[in-house]
Amino acid sequence: MSMALTLTVNGETHQVLAEPHRTLLDVLRADLGLTGTKENCLEAECGVCTVLLDGLAVNACIVLAAQCRGRSIVTIEGLAAPGEMHALQQAFIDQGAVQCGYCIPGMILSAKAYLEENPEPTETEVREALAGNLCRCTGYQKIADAVMSAARAMRS
Amino acid sequence: MTETRVLGHSLPRMDAAGKVSGTAVYAADFSLPGMLYGALLRSREPHARLVRIDVSRAARIPGVRTVITALDVPDVRYGGAVKDETVFARDRVRFAGQPVAAVAATSLEIATEALAAIDVVYQALPPILDVAAALAPGAPLVHEDWTSYTALPILHRDGNVCNRARIVVGDVERGFEEADEIFEHRFTTASVHQGYTEPRAAVAQWDSSGQVTVWSNTQLPFEIQATLSEILQVSSSKVRVIVPGVGGGFGGKLRVGVEHFAALLARKTGRAVKVMTTTEDELRAAYARQPAIVELKTGVTRDGRITAREGRLWFDTGAFAGSGPGVASVATLMLAGPYRIPNLRLEGYAVYTNKTNFGSFRAPSGPQANFAVESQMDAIADALGIDPLDFRLKNIVREGEEGPTGQVLSAVGLEECLLKVADAIGWRDRRPAPGRGKGLACGWWTTTGGSSGVYVKVNPDGTVALNTGAAEIGTAALTGAAQVLAEDLGVRLADINVVSADTLSTPFDFGAQGSRTAFAVGNACRAAVAELKRQLFVLAAKQLGVDESALSLGEGCVIAAAEGKRATLAELARLSQASGGGLIAHGTFIAPPTAYDAKRVEGHVYPAFHSPSFHAHAVDLSVDAETGEITLHRYVVAQDVGFAMNPTYIEGQIEGGVAQGLGQALSEEIVYEEGRVLNANLTDYKMPTALDLPRIESILVQHPSLVGPYGAKGVGEPPNIEPPAVVANAVASAVGVRITSLPITAEKVALALGERAT
Repeated sequence: MSMALTLTVNGETHQVLAEPHRTLLDVLRADLGLTGTKENCLEAECGVCTVLLDGLAVNACIVLAAQCRGRSIVTIEGLAAPGEMHALQQAFIDQGAVQCGYCIPGMILSAKAYLEENPEPTETEVREALAGNLCRCTGYQKIADAVMSAARAMRS
Repeated sequence: MTETRVLGHSLPRMDAAGKVSGTAVYAADFSLPGMLYGALLRSREPHARLVRIDVSRAARIPGVRTVITALDVPDVRYGGAVKDETVFARDRVRFAGQPVAAVAATSLEIATEALAAIDVVYQALPPILDVAAALAPGAPLVHEDWTSYTALPILHRDGNVCNRARIVVGDVERGFEEADEIFEHRFTTASVHQGYTEPRAAVAQWDSSGQVTVWSNTQLPFEIQATLSEILQVSSSKVRVIVPGVGGGFGGKLRVGVEHFAALLARKTGRAVKVMTTTEDELRAAYARQPAIVELKTGVTRDGRITAREGRLWFDTGAFAGSGPGVASVATLMLAGPYRIPNLRLEGYAVYTNKTNFGSFRAPSGPQANFAVESQMDAIADALGIDPLDFRLKNIVREGEEGPTGQVLSAVGLEECLLKVADAIGWRDRRPAPGRGKGLACGWWTTTGGSSGVYVKVNPDGTVALNTGAAEIGTAALTGAAQVLAEDLGVRLADINVVSADTLSTPFDFGAQGSRTAFAVGNACRAAVAELKRQLFVLAAKQLGVDESALSLGEGCVIAAAEGKRATLAELARLSQASGGGLIAHGTFIAPPTAYDAKRVEGHVYPAFHSPSFHAHAVDLSVDAETGEITLHRYVVAQDVGFAMNPTYIEGQIEGGVAQGLGQALSEEIVYEEGRVLNANLTDYKMPTALDLPRIESILVQHPSLVGPYGAKGVGEPPNIEPPAVVANAVASAVGVRITSLPITAEKVALALGERAT
């Protein structure tokens, strides 16, 4: 009962066979080997699986792969060209915002979607935008600093 | 202080680029071709006789490759201090969530479906729901056969008590007689989960030689190797544990979690098997922090000198001892606090109940004991009319004084921490507005011992490989250790590559636990450089035609400064490869034993703190008089880190540790009802989000340890200790009610305010 799906992920077209109930997260990780999108609660509570779907941040664990036909998906692997860093990725490194790193891909993609919407946020707005992404290592401070610093870099 | 080039600088961690680009591989990401997926059937009963398990329906489901129960695995009892655990429940289940059977199938979906097709008949028994019930006269035993279990001989066990650790100093009765006032308080704390974002995960595969390789996100690969050897009944050389990457641990990934299920299912099926926990399983059946009851009786003179303290702390350790006996021991040192108290009688109990086996969580016992001790310090100060800061300064331990078990304390930076944190928070204006108040708390903690080995190899291009058995769990401890290596070897951090945590090929390490990794691996690196230096200087002396005594290391070279000559490490490595098998050194370290007075302790598995750290926290908060809701304005930490190896990541430890501690202080609680967890999901188990936390300000105090690399002390666990106490003290300061149970929810505060009004 698998169905053929054409998915555009990080600008590349992929043909996959997937049963209708399979999630985007599962297809990204298991079929496409894109394990930069992380897996944890599977109930849209923690945010580690955040990807961009047509530019908006979504929890890939509760999006069906079949809903993504003909839409554009960006995962952490596709945020910057190979060998390059997006301003957000560089800022996360520079600000010391990475510890275990498991929440970081989702955190960066949530921030990316938010900065598209609001390129000049306050720190409080950034914290509000990231409130759906749990991090247990950092206390969020250096993450907020990184997003603020990336926002400045992206504006200039 | 010596000038350093690499160490002490806020350099970016070595694994950052892989983590931000999604290429870093964690255990949860690891897979093998043809791999099966394992799932666990867990008991829904907290306490029951296991009458019958019928797996035949499940085994017939297409795609199911095996279903195993206690009958299919070696009949082995394992465990740390007490060998009281089995892989599956045998004829009795002891907590809701205990594994009863496991399935391996071609997909996780099929494996999960098969769990529902396993028929289990339970005969429910009355569960022991808490410590009070476990200690009641005539209480049934969680382990009827406890006397037959193998256990550390040092433990004091008695029925449902799997250890009673005790410290006795002086004569408490006389101490209370000398007191002008005696204060007695009781505190309780709830269980909280480590909350790592990566579930526990393992992939196991057996090869034709009978060796099993397990890729796991454990903090302790060598302990897992030993435990698996015991459970699987094979020699430890037949067990290889590799840690790919770890998405947070905080103590929750110390003990065997899913590795044994993966290995047993893989052995049965002849296929690679992956097992990963669900969030529900994490919250009902992992190694969360022990709930505690603490009773403290402290005698003081009118002018604020502590004369005696009697303290008892009971931990609910759950259905198995696990870390409990050790954590109960550490608790007694924490009950003394960083104070000079001449007469002490302190006891820590680990008590069996029908709950999950609570375990080690960042500074195990620290927050529970500190919440009690530091709350009581403020209550006493208030009653005596002394400023809480002054009361602490009057009683804190100082350089050269004794700890509770007689260890001589050195590098005591506590007074500096207290003064700096008080100054930063504006302590002299403690109640700046109605409903607003400031609190402070202080504490001490250990840098755990245990040995570490490293191999350090100089490559023919001049780069250096650091091979360590320690796992990087997110703290950047291995970046810190590599900074030590780069510093001593005279190379850049960028010249170093780290290979870590593979029990087959990396040297032994006691593991990423107890704030020890950067400390111990860093010191092992120093030892390795001393040995490499010897090898390098022999080669260089010959090459440069100078005396070995004229040589030094620097700029990636061996330098003969007076002669104006130098040889690069690359050159010397090539020379060694051509003539002597290459440059490699084995460096080792074990913290020297900390002397203590053995007559003061009983049942104690952790009698002294190695290279202790000292710290003080302060918070400024407001309490809504109507709703009891707490708003945090500022939070300041002053921590004596000995020497700041990498300030950015030390701040990261402080900010993260405080965040976790504020979760325990304000919102986190695994809620039990009749032995079952009610909130096993991340909506109802409330960890702080980015919006819930204030900015956390870090002040790094540096009183160098005599033992640590360049004077460093352990830094990872301490920030997690004081947040509950500091919040309780600030709430009391703001609105005059003292909350003695964690978490300090708005509801509790509002109720207390309401009671006071009536």
